[in-house]
Amino acid sequence: MSKDKKKKSLRYSLIRPISNEKWQPISIPFVSIIISFIAAAIVILLIGKNPLQAFYNLFQGAGILPKPSYAGYKSMLTDFLSLLNAMTPLVFASLAVAVAFRAGLFNIGVSGQMLVSGFLATIIVGYSGLDAIIAKPLVLLIGMVAGGLMGGLVGWLKYKFNINEVVTTIMLNYIAQYVISFFIQMYYIDPVSRQSKYISEAARLTLVNVEIANLKMDIPLGFILAIITAILIKFVMDKTVVGFEIKAVGNNRNAAKYAGIKVGRNTVLAMVISGGLAGLAGVTYYLGYFSSIQPKVLSSIGFDSIAVSLLGNSHPIGVIFSSFLVSIIDQGSTYMSSQAGIRQEISSVIIGLILLFSACGAYLKHKVSRLKEKEVDQKESES
Amino acid sequence: MSDYIVEMKHITKRFPGIVANDDVSIGIKKGEIFALLGENGAGKSTLMSILGGMYEPDEGEIYIRGEKVQISSPNHAAKLNIGMVHQHFKLVSDYTITENIILGVEPMKKFAGLFPYVDIRNANRKIEELSKNFGLEVDPTKKIADLTVSMQQRVEILKVLYREAEILIFDEPTAVLTPQEIEFLLGIIEGLRNGGKTIILITHKLEEIKKVADRCAVLNKGNLVDVLDVKETSTKQMAQLMVGREVNFESAKAPAVMKEEVLKVDHLTVKNEDGFEVVKDVSFTIHSGEIFAIAGVADNGQVEIADAIAGLTKVSGGKVLLQGKDITNESIRNRTEMGISYIPEDRQSFGLVLDFDLSTNLALKQYYREPFASKGILSKEEFEQFGSKLIDKYDIRSGQGIKTQVRSMSGGNQQKAIIAREIELQSPLMIFVQPTRGVDIGAIENIHKMMIQQRDQGKAILLVSLELDEIMNVADTIGVIYNGQLQKIASSESLTTNEVGEYMMGAKHE
Repeated sequence: MSKDKKKKSLRYSLIRPISNEKWQPISIPFVSIIISFIAAAIVILLIGKNPLQAFYNLFQGAGILPKPSYAGYKSMLTDFLSLLNAMTPLVFASLAVAVAFRAGLFNIGVSGQMLVSGFLATIIVGYSGLDAIIAKPLVLLIGMVAGGLMGGLVGWLKYKFNINEVVTTIMLNYIAQYVISFFIQMYYIDPVSRQSKYISEAARLTLVNVEIANLKMDIPLGFILAIITAILIKFVMDKTVVGFEIKAVGNNRNAAKYAGIKVGRNTVLAMVISGGLAGLAGVTYYLGYFSSIQPKVLSSIGFDSIAVSLLGNSHPIGVIFSSFLVSIIDQGSTYMSSQAGIRQEISSVIIGLILLFSACGAYLKHKVSRLKEKEVDQKESES
Repeated sequence: MSDYIVEMKHITKRFPGIVANDDVSIGIKKGEIFALLGENGAGKSTLMSILGGMYEPDEGEIYIRGEKVQISSPNHAAKLNIGMVHQHFKLVSDYTITENIILGVEPMKKFAGLFPYVDIRNANRKIEELSKNFGLEVDPTKKIADLTVSMQQRVEILKVLYREAEILIFDEPTAVLTPQEIEFLLGIIEGLRNGGKTIILITHKLEEIKKVADRCAVLNKGNLVDVLDVKETSTKQMAQLMVGREVNFESAKAPAVMKEEVLKVDHLTVKNEDGFEVVKDVSFTIHSGEIFAIAGVADNGQVEIADAIAGLTKVSGGKVLLQGKDITNESIRNRTEMGISYIPEDRQSFGLVLDFDLSTNLALKQYYREPFASKGILSKEEFEQFGSKLIDKYDIRSGQGIKTQVRSMSGGNQQKAIIAREIELQSPLMIFVQPTRGVDIGAIENIHKMMIQQRDQGKAILLVSLELDEIMNVADTIGVIYNGQLQKIASSESLTTNEVGEYMMGAKHE
């Protein structure tokens, strides 16, 4: 009996840190991450390697922890900047998913929206020879407008013909992928790289190989914009009439309509914003992180962003942190594989596990509240 | 040993924050109809969920046929011959009646002694027999999707009978039925008793108890107040015990002082999604200081009239005029601004955003304008102030005040919140659709009082209700609808309940 009790109280003390509902939006993803790292550690143990060593290498590779030695012109700072460079499009893409999600819409078309805006910005500005001062803002603008229009089209189809956005976004992904592939291969192909021709440095959103203090680093200009955008989106969603209406439509269409909110207009608007954000992801990816487009391939960022957004609770600030974490694992994987002798693909397994467990957040929350109820019961009956 | 078939002794069940049952002891005799009476949240359903195996009690003992038992699951309860007819049906709509009934206890046979299959034919026959025995009359091969609500309820009853239940628990069985269907169901319940079954009836409708029950336990806030012999107790006494104070059935109201015309509905026709006319050429007017009630059996077009006036449904013919202005093609928002308040029938899927907090829901129709928002930016303080004010003014009860998620509030308090919000709009026209559905007697009294108060302040009120008593009680003018057409419009004094009932059935034509 007493042993049983001890076991139970141990369980309660385990859940106590995450039983506070106020902190659950943060504590639950945090616990999900811990669980997934434990699971990943088991996987690494199973292939006969040291998980702690692997995780350490992962962080070293991402520029969070110092490596024992660096090549010329490199340092921890340069690694960290490339991490931010890789993270930028993921933040935008996850924000795109989060905004749509708040409106009750599932934007699976982020990849397609990224590709279209990246392509348009590439051919309009990337090959134009415009000055940087004009070219860079123009790239951003084109990205936003192209993505926004494509997202808006999805919203409009939903509003006008009640076509499920999941279907339209998936189909538009295919259309974008192959139509753009056609144009690249017909008109813009670089015969050596078999990708689209490289864009001008002036149009690129990442400043590459900038020499500062004897280091060569990549400076992602879009990163600052991503952080500002996240804060802006938070403000719009929480504090403005526009955000209120989008959330109301997302939570209960009928009640929103009853309250006089124009459901159709808000559906389209939410998709325009979502698409615009996806467009920014597209230009920071194809005209920032990369400087050309590989034909016939959709970026996996568009799909990863769904889970990253989930891990961040579809909250704009949460999304920054979850993107950060996922980018670390992604970026650190090369170094991990060379140092610890663990195949690079294991990092994809870890990311997969994190996203899997983060999707279980609702279950975790439910379980915790059940246990808490029982604990309250027990305390009352004891007293 | 006692002659009780079910005995629950000193049952206590706690949930976080509340004690749902506090030391409740009841005994139920074999072959009686035992009613459980109490307001929403009095603990009736919890008590019966314990008996049905859904919850385990924190304290107390249960005896079935004199034997002490611990009912651990609904399956265990079924083994003890206890069956529950739920308020919300649990049926698979693409399955036939038989398939639904045998789900989980399928009678198996083996084809050629080898391949198992479900013996539907036999089950069909057995269910047909069963339904005839108890006067339930269903065709076992019909699909659930094709059945009316009352037929679906019969299937639920057959489901527990098929599992050889001796003790049947009915959870608010009449909440979804029309007066005629209620009549029929009560007949069936009596028939079951006469067939030797023991019935437990959970309800907060006094007339039903008076009509069929033998004994009645009254619960109030988790405590057992009394167990009464129904024959020797008046409904008034029961109501007092249940609410814990004196209840006025008849709303005291002064005669209407009607002034100028507020709403004019002129030859209104409304089509549903299939293009079928559900409202046909309806015309009526409502004046300031008048309660106009539309009486009728469910689904005869009354809700569509309300929706058409509020702008939620498109009008296919005719006009709606508010204070002389044609609003037939105005947006919902404009109509609200011009002066329509609307308490919708379905409070959870239309009236509220359940995952928003209480203060946000209270401001749901005003959030976009001053002082709640200026230049597109919302003011949290204004939301909170307004919310707190309304909670006090209308006595809306919730766990965490303005921050409470509306989903966690009781139905009665959700309704209070909607009514508070709509009254605060100060609209000249207020539409109430089924305002008292699913709320308890205390709240009903309160809602009626508020409606009459609003009328006396010069509002024009449109009431749509399926409860005839409610209509006779508060309406100044009654319009009776049948099959989308207004059969009769007359002042409430000039009509008797019976007459209204006949018009409702389409029986009386002029």
